[in-house]
Amino acid sequence: MTSDEGCLDAFQRELDYVYRTLRRLGTSSSEVEDLAQEVFLALRRSWREYDQDRPIRPYLFGIAFRIAAAHQRKRKREVAFETVEPADSGPWPDQALQSKQARAIVLAALDRIPLPRRAVLVMRDLDDVPVGEIASMLEIPLFTAYSRLRKARRELEAAVQLLLRGTRAR
Amino acid sequence: MMRSPGTLSAKVRELLDEEVAIPALPAAERSRAVARARAAIEADFVAPAAPTGRASAAVPPRWAASMALALAASVVVGAVAYGVAHWTSEKVPVKAHPAVVVASPTSSIPAAIPTPIDEPPPPLRFHGLPLRLSPAGAIRAELLLLRPARAAVAREDFAAALHPIAEHTRRFKKGRLAEEREALRVKALIGLGRTDEARRAAARFRAHFPHSVLLPAVGQISPGGE
Repeated sequence: MTSDEGCLDAFQRELDYVYRTLRRLGTSSSEVEDLAQEVFLALRRSWREYDQDRPIRPYLFGIAFRIAAAHQRKRKREVAFETVEPADSGPWPDQALQSKQARAIVLAALDRIPLPRRAVLVMRDLDDVPVGEIASMLEIPLFTAYSRLRKARRELEAAVQLLLRGTRAR
Repeated sequence: MMRSPGTLSAKVRELLDEEVAIPALPAAERSRAVARARAAIEADFVAPAAPTGRASAAVPPRWAASMALALAASVVVGAVAYGVAHWTSEKVPVKAHPAVVVASPTSSIPAAIPTPIDEPPPPLRFHGLPLRLSPAGAIRAELLLLRPARAAVAREDFAAALHPIAEHTRRFKKGRLAEEREALRVKALIGLGRTDEARRAAARFRAHFPHSVLLPAVGQISPGGE
């Protein structure tokens, strides 16, 4: 298998993960396809440097994070927080959480966390990556990674509570 | 599992557990993404190497060290290679170029995850004529040109989609993303109620791309005129 074939194969295998990661990092549904292509181009450029004995998802996450961050800088947060709403505005009793609604709430809550901290939280609490590897992948000190994780979890708690109150109030 | 530092409440944990599983993409979206990735690879295969082997690169300042190594090893191929020998006073910021960094087989450039392009390509001109982009650079330029069109269609601002579509047509009439552009054109024209034009565009699309994965979207408009 050539280098390009290997890279394309990996991209194809992890396409769902790439898309979902970009969404978790704040990319809108209308932009995710283009940014996924940028992830592929970046992956292809760095494919020779990628150690194929290591799991690819943290590596892809590092690429997606940089691409999402660059894109976010460009947009300068033009989408106001209050425009991000759970997908379903109907009644939502605690006991009847549905997967789709839960996902929408999580994305909306994540969007309220600044990207550098959100990246740590997503890698740790959704992708189950060890903090040491997160620090390495994002090129930050271990202490910083822990600090960001702690703060991001507090922010996530607050954001979820806010969203739940807003949903119940309707 | 150890959750310190900071412990999430049961409610938030429950929500996160729902989000842990990665949902599968719809088949059409997956096909399109893979086709675009494949097109980017093929674009490099059909392209001749840059005549001088020199180039500029889309590498940000924070990887300046890597860039210096890369240049020293003459391993960087970029978007304006064809014009580099005649580089004129119209210098363009390096970061803004849609370019690709290609490591040579012998390169020992440290692993660095490349940064994405984040600005539209500047008008590359040499004595008033557009410079040729490298094939991979062209793909990225096409992506950038079509991005606002796709976003405009997604938010149903169809009028706003027409300008980037026209610009893409002007610069990349037979580009790698012509298929996607023409599908966007059909959607935009339908959205604007310009039915006759939409019908003609749809007919052209079917003729040019009979096996397109985008046909279902274009198929919203019938050829017969009803």
